[in-house]
Amino acid sequence: MKNKILLLSFILLALYSCIETQNFDQYDDLEIIPTVEASILYVESPERIINESVGQYFYSQDFNFDAFTFDAFADRVLDGSIFFEIDNTTSKEFKPTVEFLDEDGNTIDTIDFPVQPSAPTPLYRRQVPYGPGKQRSIEIIKNTSSIKVSVLIEDNSSVSNLPDPKIIFRSSGKFRVRLK
Amino acid sequence: MRQFQLVLLSWLLGCAFVTAQNKQILYDFTEIPQALMINPGMSTDFQWYAGIPALSGISFQAGSSGLTVNDLFADDGVDFNVKVRERAIYGMSTRDELNGTYQVELLNGGFRGRNRDNFYSFGIYNEGDAIGYWFKDYAILAFEGNADQLGRKFDVGHLKTRGEMLNVFHFGINKRVDGALTIGARAKVYSSVFNFSSTKNKGYFVTNQGQNNILSHTFVADMELRSSGLNEIEDALDNDSSLLPGIITRRMFFGGDLGFGIDLGFTYKLNKQTVITGSLLDLGFVYSSTDVKNYTIKGNATVEGIEVILPDAFSNSNDDFWQNLVDEVDALVPHGTNNNSYISFRPTKLYGSIRHNWGKTFKQNMDCDCNYMVSKRRDYTKYANGIGGQLYVINRPRGPQAALTAFYLRRFGRALALKTTYTVDKFSWSNIGLGLNLQAGPVNIYVMADNLLAYRNLADSHYSSFQLGLNIISWGKK
Repeated sequence: MKNKILLLSFILLALYSCIETQNFDQYDDLEIIPTVEASILYVESPERIINESVGQYFYSQDFNFDAFTFDAFADRVLDGSIFFEIDNTTSKEFKPTVEFLDEDGNTIDTIDFPVQPSAPTPLYRRQVPYGPGKQRSIEIIKNTSSIKVSVLIEDNSSVSNLPDPKIIFRSSGKFRVRLK
Repeated sequence: MRQFQLVLLSWLLGCAFVTAQNKQILYDFTEIPQALMINPGMSTDFQWYAGIPALSGISFQAGSSGLTVNDLFADDGVDFNVKVRERAIYGMSTRDELNGTYQVELLNGGFRGRNRDNFYSFGIYNEGDAIGYWFKDYAILAFEGNADQLGRKFDVGHLKTRGEMLNVFHFGINKRVDGALTIGARAKVYSSVFNFSSTKNKGYFVTNQGQNNILSHTFVADMELRSSGLNEIEDALDNDSSLLPGIITRRMFFGGDLGFGIDLGFTYKLNKQTVITGSLLDLGFVYSSTDVKNYTIKGNATVEGIEVILPDAFSNSNDDFWQNLVDEVDALVPHGTNNNSYISFRPTKLYGSIRHNWGKTFKQNMDCDCNYMVSKRRDYTKYANGIGGQLYVINRPRGPQAALTAFYLRRFGRALALKTTYTVDKFSWSNIGLGLNLQAGPVNIYVMADNLLAYRNLADSHYSSFQLGLNIISWGKK
């Protein structure tokens, strides 16, 4: 009799056990889109270098930058911005230009900055957005293989009265990346 | 990369089947021979027993302390991304885990020696064990990224996992010292199929305001993932999966890495009706020297992107500054692989219990020829009722993990015994378990299930386990 009671108990337990309806298709709705940011390029030039040049000072340099063309980034980036900062403590005006170049060296984007006044001047900041609905396509970022920075300065004689006068160019990027 | 996938797969498989190895229902269930496996010093009165090969002891346990399947996949209309974010990403802590064990006895037997106070047991079982703690900062970094998180350190030490599959060959001695004390020990030889562990990682990733550029990024790491036995499995999966059973079988039977361990246990009668027991299991190690592949990364680096400072940069204007940056980081935070042998310690377990017995006693002398009890000694007397408490502690990568159990044992004659338990641990505070042992002549069958209240909705269970076994126990001659 006891055995029958126990058997019945186990059967009831088995019947009692159940699983609420689960919807595993929800996994398809999962979106993993982190926003990542990182510094890109920093260029610093002291005023004395400019003043040592003969005639007008012209600096232009291509910097290989493969971070954007990595498959892990290029295949997944959705949109984002490049941030620029220009800090001028020299006595000179200048006009910087940044170009994004593809693998073949072709310019695929040019960012013209306004003439930077001589010091004292506030820190210049600019955000350049890329992506759907923005002026610039995210494809520019995906295809950028190097960055070209150019600066033209005609005054190579004046001297700033600020300590350790320099032209500093800073940049960073902030992008949304779809991991899933 | 494939190895990481294998580790991940093993871990997920482990987690699919497992939890914290606590066999609180089986512990000190003296009618069941397999209880000797978790206390070699159990008071036992078998003449001999023989487990039915591959059926004598099967146990699966699965647990997740932080999240249930139902928490994520219930059809409740809540946006899945919200559920993941609130319940998993930010809802779980680094102490939450997915963890589990399975055991399948291939062979198990025991016999009493010429000295009737000694009982010997032996056998082989296969075991898999895996644990993974919630890698919270990795998850946050993956879901949120590092943007707008200035100064926040993402702890790379949140990666903590280990797992293994092995065969265990064991031989144990159980000795009745006197009427009050029984002691036991078991020697184990481990034959490892595979093993992986990554438990002592340190370091962080942080984004700060840069000194020169807008942002600086610092990565400090001292990390290692050790693995053995996965390369050959990987090759077989890639090239000829029919080789896999042979590889695994060979390693299960001394063809892979070996190790050694011991179990210790005792039972002591405080008085006629009160008993204390204790056991220490898997005090041992596996030495991994074949098919070893370890991944390491150690160092620290702070970068602020490409930095060009004139006029110094004029002298190397043709340099690839990007590549220089990559090389610099590689040099500061070197990563690679090695084949260094290593020792991995088994997850050691500790059990303890106190039990008070009362009620009807069962005499050892039986008129029929179906007495499987070996001794007429009074100290083997069994009572109809037993109540008590048990403690279980297991050594885990984040430190010892404990469980407390209260139990009630009821014997219905010689044929039937029931044990019900209430267990509190990190997985559940409402874990009620039930075990049944049936002695039908020489045939012994036991079935046990855990966390029964969760059976209302298994998908919402943090923990479940199941054990069963089939043995032949001696009867007739004493």
